[in-house]
Amino acid sequence: MALFTAAFSFSLAAVTVAAAEGNTMDPADAVKTESPIKHVIILIGENRGTDHTFGVYKPRGKGQTISNLLSKGIVNEDGSPGPHFSLATQYLVAPQPLYYVGAPDSAKVAYNNSGQMPQPNTNGAPVAPSASGAPFIPAVLAELAVIDPSPDFGALTDTILTTGFTGLPAGTLDSRIPGAGILPNGPFVLQGANISDDDYTGDMTHRFYQAWQQSDCSIANASKANPTGCLNDLFPFVMATYDLSDNTIPAVQHNFSEGNEMGFYDAEQEQASTLKTLADRFSLSDNFHQSFQGGTGANHFMLGTGDAAFWSDGNGNPITPPASEIANPNPVAGTTNKYTADNNFTNCSDFTQPGVAPIVSYLEALPYGAEPNCAEGHYYMLDNTNPGFLPNGFQAPSPATQNMIPASPVRTIGDALSEKNITWAYFGGSYNDAVVLSNEAVTAGTAATLNSSTALAEAALADPAHALGVAYCQICNPFQYAASIMGNPAQRAAHIKDTVDLLADIKGNTLPSVSFGKPDGLLDGHPSSSKIDLFEAYVQQVLDALEANPKLKAETVVFVTWDEAGGYWDSGFIQPIDYFGDGPRIPMLALSAYSTGGKVNHSYADHVSLLKFIERNWHLHALTDRSRDNLPNPKMRGDHRYVPANMPALSDLFDMFDFDHAVKQPFLE
Amino acid sequence: MLALIRSSGLGPIALCLALWVGGTGTGAETPPVREFSAEIVSRDAGGAIAGAAARLFAMNRKVRIETPEAPSGFFLIDAEAGTVFFVRPAQRVFMDAKQSTRLTQIFVPVDSHDPCRQWRAAAKNAGLSSGGGEWGCERAAPVIAGQGGAIEYHVVSPDRVSSRRWIDPNLEFPVKLQAADGTTMTLEQIRTGSQPADLFAVPLDYRKLDPQALIDRIKRSDVWVEQSQP
Repeated sequence: MALFTAAFSFSLAAVTVAAAEGNTMDPADAVKTESPIKHVIILIGENRGTDHTFGVYKPRGKGQTISNLLSKGIVNEDGSPGPHFSLATQYLVAPQPLYYVGAPDSAKVAYNNSGQMPQPNTNGAPVAPSASGAPFIPAVLAELAVIDPSPDFGALTDTILTTGFTGLPAGTLDSRIPGAGILPNGPFVLQGANISDDDYTGDMTHRFYQAWQQSDCSIANASKANPTGCLNDLFPFVMATYDLSDNTIPAVQHNFSEGNEMGFYDAEQEQASTLKTLADRFSLSDNFHQSFQGGTGANHFMLGTGDAAFWSDGNGNPITPPASEIANPNPVAGTTNKYTADNNFTNCSDFTQPGVAPIVSYLEALPYGAEPNCAEGHYYMLDNTNPGFLPNGFQAPSPATQNMIPASPVRTIGDALSEKNITWAYFGGSYNDAVVLSNEAVTAGTAATLNSSTALAEAALADPAHALGVAYCQICNPFQYAASIMGNPAQRAAHIKDTVDLLADIKGNTLPSVSFGKPDGLLDGHPSSSKIDLFEAYVQQVLDALEANPKLKAETVVFVTWDEAGGYWDSGFIQPIDYFGDGPRIPMLALSAYSTGGKVNHSYADHVSLLKFIERNWHLHALTDRSRDNLPNPKMRGDHRYVPANMPALSDLFDMFDFDHAVKQPFLE
Repeated sequence: MLALIRSSGLGPIALCLALWVGGTGTGAETPPVREFSAEIVSRDAGGAIAGAAARLFAMNRKVRIETPEAPSGFFLIDAEAGTVFFVRPAQRVFMDAKQSTRLTQIFVPVDSHDPCRQWRAAAKNAGLSSGGGEWGCERAAPVIAGQGGAIEYHVVSPDRVSSRRWIDPNLEFPVKLQAADGTTMTLEQIRTGSQPADLFAVPLDYRKLDPQALIDRIKRSDVWVEQSQP
């Protein structure tokens, strides 16, 4: 929405951007591609894992199988504990002197089945509806138009943005979950008389060193079926201890993540039903992974670059960040596992840096060449750090004190596409409002002194008409880090856009060849701040637009995936590739006329597989000589079909498609 | 008056300003006109009208602005209270609008002998910091016009945007702006006289929209990144 442009203009003329309706020529058709696919749209939700979303799902395709909670017998179809529930057993660990990623067996003790495992917590989920924050008071639903009458909100201004508050105190036992308080050691279903996929639930921490530790990877645990030895059995424990000064377990945690990691939805009982319908009709990967252990920023960055960001002087040269940015996950003396400094950057080329040796040693012990890929003297961004540019392109003058990473020199897929004159864009929800707030923050002087999140929030308080700009996700946009794009006004204008532009481009036959779509923070499906059904509604809105343009739909694939599992536990195999990941499985759906039939693809893949798909389809090279898109396609083992025989390897996703047969069918009905 | 206009190089704007000055210039002894209505007309550097006019109403220290850029509502400025609201009648809500438009930072009641003070106050109310820059605001020299004439000021805002602003001493109100790029906004069709008080009030049953709850919700998401602690 644009109530006003904040630029210092004396013109009172309204600026209206309209789709080029009536233009039936599609420039993307003229670009030679490897497949019939002329357009890729990648829609990225927030923080849902594969077992969390599709843990109870039965493939509809003939002869199709899936690796999930149900197929492994961990739970039954109704979500109750199954015959092999113990496969999901979670452990606590006795205090260790240093950080570890593979806990010694002798130090591990399983939680009992009588509620000893940390229990689910409401954490930051909304207690009650609000007049100006989701969930909204139903009586003021019409006021949503005040905040954002733009199309990315339009179809959603019905009940689901008014529902789902907990009605419980913040940071307390989530008693909506059946059995909460005495849940046994293992996963539990987020379904009952008082809870469903339309409810906000408690969030949990999902950061780099915590995630590695939760995965509990040790070559000593390796087996033929699990040659990397990641047991995924410390999820509640790490959440309960990394921020816990008191050495008593269980006890009151500071972060209140507690047992939320073990929650899952039951797709066979109509939870996340839109996603299930799409899986029934199209293709789902059950071996697709978050590319980076931890959280949002690093995973999106890997999606855009096949690499990790590093602290630099802003001109491409690595330098050491301020001490306050450097991580030290070693435990504080006298605590079980409280991290000494839970910060965002590590020089993983230096074996002596805190946290480095356990991960590098583990990688070196793997039966394949998993190089850390840590360049000398580079401090890599492991956890969320805002880009050095504001959404309007303003460059933070003091990134070290503003907690913003200096302008990144890392080459992006956008750079590669632009070099070949292949059209592309990143469409971020509420981006236009964020630009207005950024302009105001620059005028107010806060853009030069504060972190950009805070600066935009202060601008929002002064300009509520554009307040939704605070919901635009800066760290989700890998191109907002890039000096080559955000530092170039022409590049920024051409490629960084809003959801409204995505819908307009679909309608007007001006959709770029490659599009990234990210909803804003209210619709992204993130626990606590959003709901999975809100992300479903965002996806549906894009699909509805495509449905109305059959010619475009016929040559488009929509990939629907997530940035990471958000800390949710997953039972799947993990292939560590380098210091940064992979991490747990996340769902990935391929929606096109060439990927139908309710199939489930098992080829090993992660976010970088999406880059590989783009590069193969448009005949591009790997981005750099160190980016992950150099990895070969996997040769999947016959005996254990989730494990590549040629690790490390990443699929380019082409085997999810049958390009010889197009099947016309609606996305949804 | 004509000399003033010629020396200012105002072109087509000049006639409007001249007509206005002629219509309201009633002498220094006349008490200030506290109530009037007018149109805010925007022109490009060549003098061509740019877009539809906004409407302005003034009553003592309160101002109401209705602009086609915000057709769903109107702005209310209360210079005494230091508030600027955007009111949306259809939703029966109002909200702070401190930085939504520069109009509300410029078209504020002023002391014709020291308008800089009110402009600074308006900027402060809008939440604008100095940003490291300095306010520049001074009366143009030589002093232009005589009794009842417009008084020109040169203003440089903290973000180093310069403009020329003209004040009508009888209205005690800005009547023209000229940006560095030559674009202008002028008050035209000025009609002095009593204004209905309800034009300047937010109805009591309207709800104030506060984005704090939205910000608090976003702080629970990965969209939000905290400022690091040294």
